[in-house]
Parts: sequence; C-alpha cells; structure tokens
Amino acid sequence: MEKKIGVYICEGCGIGSSLDIEKLKGVATKEFKVPVVKTHAAFCGAEGVEVIKGDMQAEGVNTVVVAACSHRQFHDVFNFGADNICERVNLREQVIWSHGGEGEGVDEDTQMLAADYMRMGIVKVQKTALPTPYEPEAFVRNIMVIGGGLSGMTAALEVAETGYDVTIVERSGELGGYAKKLRKQLPMASPFTTLEDPTIQGLVNKVSSHARIKVKTGVEIARISGAPGQFRVSFKTPGTKSEWDVPPKVKEGEEATVACPTPAPDAEPAADQVSCSDILTIDPNAEIFGAIVVAAGWRPYEPKEGEFDHLGFGKFKNVVTNVQFEEMAAKGKIGAKSVAFIQSPGANEDDSDFPYCSSVTSMVSLKQAQYVTQDNSDGKAYVIYSHMRTPGLYENFYKAQQNNPGVFLTKGAVTGVSESGGGLVVDVENTILGEPVRIPVDMVVLSTGMVPATQFEPIINLAYRQGPEFKDLELFGGYCDSNFICFPYETRRTGVYAAGCVRQTMTMAECVEDATGAALKAIQCLESTNRGQAVHPRSGDTSYPDFYFQRCTQCKRCTEECPFGALDDDERGTPKPNIARCRRCGTCMGACPERIISFKNYNIDMIGSMIKSIEVPEEDEGKYRIICLVCENDAYPAIDMAGVKKLKYSADIRFIQVRCLGSVNMVWVADAFSSGFDGVLIIGCKYGDDYQCHFAKGSELASRRMDNVGETLKRLALEKERVKQIQLSIDEYDKIPDEIGKFMEVMESVGFNPMKGF
Amino acid sequence: MSSAKMIQPDLEFVKEITAQGGGESLKKCFQCATCSVVCNLTHSDKPFPRKEMLWAQWGLKDRLMGDPDVWLCHQCSDCTAYCPRGAKPGEVLGAVRRMSIKANSWPGFLGGLVGSPAGLLPLFLLPVFIFGAIIMGLGRLDHLHGPIVYEKLMPIPAVDTVFILTALFACLSFFLGVTKLWKAMSDSTGRAGAQGSVVPAIIETIKEIIAHKRFDKCDVAKGRASAHKFVFWGFAGLAVVTTVAIIYLYGFHWESPYDMKNPVKWLAFVSMLSLLYGIFSVIANRNANAGKAGKGGYFDWLFIYIIVGVALTGTLSWGIRLLDIAPLAYTIYFFHLVFIFCLFAYAPFSKMAHMVYRTTAMVFARHTGFDK
Repeated sequence: MEKKIGVYICEGCGIGSSLDIEKLKGVATKEFKVPVVKTHAAFCGAEGVEVIKGDMQAEGVNTVVVAACSHRQFHDVFNFGADNICERVNLREQVIWSHGGEGEGVDEDTQMLAADYMRMGIVKVQKTALPTPYEPEAFVRNIMVIGGGLSGMTAALEVAETGYDVTIVERSGELGGYAKKLRKQLPMASPFTTLEDPTIQGLVNKVSSHARIKVKTGVEIARISGAPGQFRVSFKTPGTKSEWDVPPKVKEGEEATVACPTPAPDAEPAADQVSCSDILTIDPNAEIFGAIVVAAGWRPYEPKEGEFDHLGFGKFKNVVTNVQFEEMAAKGKIGAKSVAFIQSPGANEDDSDFPYCSSVTSMVSLKQAQYVTQDNSDGKAYVIYSHMRTPGLYENFYKAQQNNPGVFLTKGAVTGVSESGGGLVVDVENTILGEPVRIPVDMVVLSTGMVPATQFEPIINLAYRQGPEFKDLELFGGYCDSNFICFPYETRRTGVYAAGCVRQTMTMAECVEDATGAALKAIQCLESTNRGQAVHPRSGDTSYPDFYFQRCTQCKRCTEECPFGALDDDERGTPKPNIARCRRCGTCMGACPERIISFKNYNIDMIGSMIKSIEVPEEDEGKYRIICLVCENDAYPAIDMAGVKKLKYSADIRFIQVRCLGSVNMVWVADAFSSGFDGVLIIGCKYGDDYQCHFAKGSELASRRMDNVGETLKRLALEKERVKQIQLSIDEYDKIPDEIGKFMEVMESVGFNPMKGF
Repeated sequence: MSSAKMIQPDLEFVKEITAQGGGESLKKCFQCATCSVVCNLTHSDKPFPRKEMLWAQWGLKDRLMGDPDVWLCHQCSDCTAYCPRGAKPGEVLGAVRRMSIKANSWPGFLGGLVGSPAGLLPLFLLPVFIFGAIIMGLGRLDHLHGPIVYEKLMPIPAVDTVFILTALFACLSFFLGVTKLWKAMSDSTGRAGAQGSVVPAIIETIKEIIAHKRFDKCDVAKGRASAHKFVFWGFAGLAVVTTVAIIYLYGFHWESPYDMKNPVKWLAFVSMLSLLYGIFSVIANRNANAGKAGKGGYFDWLFIYIIVGVALTGTLSWGIRLLDIAPLAYTIYFFHLVFIFCLFAYAPFSKMAHMVYRTTAMVFARHTGFDK
C-alpha cells in the first residue's frame, strides 16, 4: 500500500499551552516531509475527527498519526478501519502531564521529549504494514469436553445450547462423576443454608438426550495433535497401550524425530508393548475438534504409608477419610454416634490443613457432621480445625450447620488419636476451650484433600514438541491453570480451557459457574481462530509471526521458549509454527538470534529504527538519554496513570511500548548503545512463582536475556548497570518516579556513554 | 496428655438450653469475644460471658453449674446488643441460670414444673384449692355482711399459718439449694479453702445490692436497673409494712384497716406505687429493648406476671374496698392471696430465686477473692 501520512497534533488538555506546537509541526514537515500536518483544539471531538476523515477522503491520507493523548484513550474515536494505519503519539500522559510545570510555558526538555515521540510515531507508521489475517487451512466448529462429571456436563450443555456440537469424553463407564456418589450435596443456590438431595441425575438425563451432545464413555485420550480449529484426537480404551500414545518430550541433544523409547535389544518385549508413533505422524482415524474443555476433575488424596500414623489412619479401622465416610453415608445410616472430623494433621508444629484442602473440604466436614446427627438423635459430631473456610455466601451454610446442637466446633491442634476401650480418643491441644482436651469418639474422619487430575497424568497428551502435558503446573500445585487471578480458564495451551476442580478446588455451585465460563472461552477461541485473530490477551489481533526460514540455524530457541508451545519441528528439524496456537506475544521474535521472525506491524527493524530516530544530544549539552522498553499489558497503563496523577520524572527517558518483555530482542539494546544512549530500562510484569506476566514467561525470559546482555556490555567496557529490568504491577504507578529517579542516579554515577558520537 | 480432661458434652443439656425461650441463639456464637470486651461487670481474669457461651455450646453442664460468673452476670444485655452474630449471650446466660435454678432446686420435680409451661395450671390451682378449702371448711362465705373487712373471708390465723408454712418450706429449699451451689462453686473454682468469717462479705454484698452498684454499670438497657430499683424498693417497703402489721396485731392488737393518717398506711401506699411503676417499667423496657437485648422466655415472663398479679390484686383489693363493691373486692382479695402464695412458695424454683443465688454468688466471689 502506498502510504500517505497525515500528522494531527491536538492542542487540547493543555498540550497547546505547554508545547511549542509550531516547532513540533516542524519535526513532521521538515524532518520527515509529511504532506499533511494539522492542529486542532480537540481532535477527539466530532469536529476534530471530521478534519481527519475529511483529509482521508479529500487528500487520500491513509496513515494517520494522532499526537494527543495515550492510545489507551478514545481508541474507538480514532479507529479508521482495518484498511488504514493509525498511530498515536502520547503527548498528554507521558509528556506534558509528567514533565515541566503546568501553565509555566514551554520547557526545553519537555519540548525535546515531545519531538522525539513525534519522530518515533512517524517512523513507526513508516515501518508498519497492514496485517492480513492468517487463514486456517481447515477448520471445524465442534468442541470436545474431557470429563463427564458436573463441570464437564455443564460445559457441554452450555456449548450445545449456544449452538455448537460437542462431544463428552468420559473415561469411566458412565456420566456423573463424583457428584453421583454423594448422599447430599452442598447448597447450589441462595440462601445456601440447607443440604440438597443430589441433582446430578437430572443433568445426566438432559445431556444424554441432547441432540448436539455426543457422549463417549469408557475411552481416554491417546493423543491430541494440531491446533485450535483442527485438533486431531486419537482415542483408546483406558489402561491400554496404543500406537498413538504420545512419546515423552524430546530432551536437548536428542534427535527430535526419534521419539519413541525403544526397549533395550536384549530385554524381553512386554506383552502389551506397542511402539508409538512420533509426534509428526498423523493418525488418519483421529476425530477432529475445534477447541477443548478440560474438566477432568479431582481424585481423593491417597495418604502415603504411615503419613498420618499419629491420627491412627491405617492403624484403626474407624479412622477413615472424608471420601470413605461419604461412601458409607451414601450406602446407609451412619452407625457411629460420635465422630470427630479432623481438618489439620500437623499437630502442634504446623497448622496447615491436609494437602489439597480448601473451603470445600471445610464445608464437606460441616455437611458430614449433619449426617451424624441426622442418623442418631443423640449423635455428636466434633469438627476440629485450624482453618474453617466458608467464603462468600457459604457463611450462611456455616451458620446453619453450626446451629445444630449436636455439632461441636473448635479450633485446635489434634496431637493424636488412640484406641481406648473399644472406642477412639482424640487428643486436642490449643483449643478454644483454653485447655488440652480428650474427646472420646466412635469414629475419626480425616478431611483429606481433592487432588487435581492433572497432578497424576497429562490428561491431554498433546503431540507437541514441548511435551504432552501442561507446563509449570508445579507452580500451581498441579492445578491446570495459567493464572488463577487474572485469566481463569486459560491454560498455557491455546484452544484448551480448564473448568472445575481440575483447575481449582471448588464447590458444585462454583463448578457450574466455572464450566459456563470455560465453555464460552472455548467458543470465543473458535470464533477468533476462524477469522485469523488471536485469543486472549491480544484478542482480535490479526498479525502473526512470519519466519524467514532460509536464514534459520535450527537453534530452536523459539520452539523452546514459546510460552504456548506453538512451534513443533518439521522432519528436518526446522521450527514448524502453528499459527492458530500462537498468542502473538512475540517471544519468538525476542528469542531469535538471527532476527528472522517478524510481524507486519511489529518487528526488529521497526523498534530499532524508532530508537535510532531519537535525537541524542552531544555530551556537552549535559543531557542523558535513556531508552525504556515498556510492556503494553501492565507497565504502560501504569506509566499513563502516573501521568494522570501528574507525577513528575526525568524528561531524559523515552518510552517505547512492546507487546511483552519476552519480545524484546537484545539487538535493540545494542542498537541503543551504539546510537549513543546512556542507559536502557525495561519495565514489565512480575515474574517468578507468583508471576503476573500475561504471556506467563515473557518477563522471566527477558530477565535471563538481560543477564546475558550485561556480560556482553562488560566486554564492550560499558557498565552493566546501564541496563536494568524493573518489575511493576499495574497498580504500582506511584513507584515510577522513584524507580526512574534511582536509575538516573546510576546514570550520574557511571556518566555518559563513551560511545556517543561514534 | 494425662493433664488433659476427658470431655463429654451433655447433648440433652444443650438441647434444653436451646429448646426454651432465651437460649435458642446459643449455637450462633463463634467465639469472637466481643461480649467479654463490652461487658462492664466482668472481671479481667477469665472474663465472662465468652467462656460460658462455649461451655454451653459444648454441653459442659458441670462447669456451668459451678461457675459463679453465671450469677455475677446481671444481664445488662450489652453483650447481646453488640454480638455480631446475634448469639445473645445475655439471653443465653439467663437460660443457663434457669438451668442452675432447676439443678439446685429441692424438691427437684418442682424445679421442672415451674420451668415448664405445662406446670402452669397445676401450680396455680394448688393455692386456689388450699385457700378455697379453708374458706369452704370454715363456712366463711356466710359472714360477708356489712363493711368490707377481708378477715371476714379469711381469718388472720389461717392466712398466717399458710404463709408461715410456705415461708419455712421456701427457706428450707433455699438452704439446700444455696449449700449445693456453694459446694459446686467451691469444687469448680478450687477456692473451697477460703479462711475467715463469711459475714463481712455478706454485709458488703448486701450494701452493694441495696445500692444497685453493679446493675448501674449497664449501658444498653439502662432503664433495667432503675426499673429493678422500683420493684426492689417496693418489695422492701411492703416487707416493712408487713413486719409492722405483725407487731401491731400481735403486740398491740391493732387490727387493719388502719386510719389514713397512719404513716404505715402511707408507706404501704408509696411502696405499692413503686412496685406497680417498677414492674410495668420492666415490661416496657423488655419490649422496647427486645430487638437489642432479646425478649426473654417463659421463665422470665412467668415471674414478671406473678409480680404483676401480686401488685395489681393488692392495689385493687384496697381500691375496690374503698368503693365498697363487696363481691368484687372479696374475689380480688382471694386472688391476691393466690398470687402471694405463688410468689413465696415457688420462689426457690422461679426466677425469684435469683435474689438468693445471685447474692450467694456475689458473697462467694467476695469471700474467696474470685472476683478480683
């Protein structure tokens, strides 16, 4: 497309009075020979927008640079359609609101800053091409749900009711899951006070008779290959070996395509030994699905041999787990007249609850306590806890259960369970009774936890280069999720959404809500992939990475580092992108040492040119220049917010927005120093165990790369203090002046870049 | 673990507290201790009523029955008003005191009968039969001519005989009850071996009661203390009047009704007004504070209505006599006797017993230093 650039400088919100607008216009007209440059008192108003639209029609402007407020404001007003390029230069939040004195006329440093942003904005549009959406070769619209319990069936029903075909895959012989094994279920609706009779059968009937729902019981997944819109799923009988079982992940240094473990030549081949196919082989009989919901649920925690010896588990017949107790209760009357429910096994040393405990196990204890008093008029149930969790409206449930005269609640540390005269005695210390007590009971129930199914096996068995299972589940205790606060349902595998107890322990009412959410995410994924658009968090983005494979050295950093496993290897070991799995974070672009990966509207050359467009003053002018690469997700909004709050910081710093710190290629840092910049900052999300990175790994990868670049700088005789990464969450805007101030102090101590002017 | 005590909750006890008026909210307590913090009467070492709430929830009857704090509580209802869970500790402690009265009562069956609505009719009919039998047996209905003199209906020796026997019975019952409570408190607090005479403690306690020192510390239901003062002083005045009347009768053979100029008459009149005002204030306070402090149960209201009965029938006996409506006057006087019988005979089993048991607990606390 032949670009005709128009630059529109807004004078509203104090921009006109704080900057020399004529000088700023000069940057566009003189330095870049931009044909159309206009100013207006408020471009966001109807009249202002008409000026731009008029130029687009009359003058043929198709590349618009609006120099006004942050691009996070009025994005709908300055939307000129997918056929035109529009770039915003942030003169308000990041220039006049955060620099200079308000109403004190034009400040020299602020004017230089505005001019540099103007230059970067124009260079950016010069280097931008309009993206063309990626069109998937094949595409189906149906959804597979793994797991036929409450969550799975709810998700399937929601999907079906929305008008999509859905298949439920259930490993056991029937639908219903654990919800079918209960005597009573926790309340499902307000006021959340009374136990309910199980309602699962109604859902089973509804699902079984729904025209859009197909149910496969007695099967499990051997492998899933492909990408959203085209997942190829091979099924098998549970517990058997199949040709389509996924081989384990290829270790570094191994031949990528030799993936199946071959038995040692002298070993007797096992009777059921089937050699599996490598991940690139296509199963011709696989069924094809567009998106996947994982609702594989949970399994009861299995205490290890002797783990709860002090509580008599495995030693005394009448010490059971909550799951065993529920089985007994579902079968018939509870014979025990007094039962102690123990929530925490740690005695006096540790007040943690049983592994994988939660509010659900707390409430299950309250529920099961009712069984004891319902079945025996003189029944007594003791609930001994370190933590009693009944969040939200479940407080009503706690209150209602507490009101039962036969239920005795105390905080306390259970130090032991012993046998005495045919019964059991529970020793409890640190009770609210203010003294250690001994409670004689007929039975003890341990509130053991609910372990997510993904803790035991991959479930999804992906035929991906990065391996068959979800990544980094150990950060979440095995729960299948990528970020449980900000992005529920999202996993690190695009097109695969998690619902129910596999991603977080939850009550049945919460499972229903959760499954509905995951079903909608799966549908959203289909409808985005179909149009060649990215899913969360860059929803709607039609750009995608383009690989110039002639120069690829097969180093596989992109394949390894992609947070979403979007890349496999082809037969020759060259990375093989699966665009439908890609979330457009640009981590591959940041990783590539050959710099062969680019997006139409975001690439190495673009950012590099923007850096080079900045005017770096000579050393004798006494002004530093810092380039700061800022993550668009949290850090950029935080910097805008600092501007809104009129927080002031050095005008020597130039922000450039990037998609994720993972996309920061270290060549930009080198470019900056060779252009005479004195320092490089990168600001992005927190990383580590409690990461906030929207692409899970980006900021962490950036920190590793920064370590390496530090060493390179040392070799160039530049101080490694000149580069720094700052972790910032979206609400920490108030830290920005201080962090920048600290970096400026470092600049003062190391001095100007000696390479300036070379 | 040998120091740890074996805990055996008494489920029936819990159910009995929660089943009847006042204690229904017991199980709502979640031990935040707001009650003990807002209480103006509690001592700082092991304060009440938090621990009593817990013991009651856990059915630890023995601990509660020997706990002086149960009786040191005056049910100001500050705790109830501030309780974030609506557990009404003040009401619950009232219910525990009901259980304490029942547990200490002798003979025990009367404790059960007074505490339950089913016992109302037989308990009321007993004095009706006693006084009815005396009137019928002596054929007094034939003597009611001329000016209204209540002795015509009921000869004074007969009245005195009945009430002296009743008082003796109540005293014996109280003596046994107080002994039992004192022993339970000694056992449970481990303060049995207090040395020295108990008399100074008794004197100090009585002074405190007369002044209503503790009751005055109450915040939320301030009116309760003043209403109680009116009832208390009304009864005290009437006790003086009764004593003087006995001296007049047996010492000087002056018979009632007395002349209007007699100061005893005036004292009786003022006491009567005080009692009437006091008891109706009690009712008004309870109704006004029901939201904040709770409304109480059958046990509380039985006692209140007995006093209302005594005061109203007493006042009317006097008023109707002056109006000279003989049949009505004699009928009311008959019921006046019935209510007075109920007040005295059932004192050890009704809420009237608080007078003795709370005093006992206050003396115990003062004597043993429990309250320090």
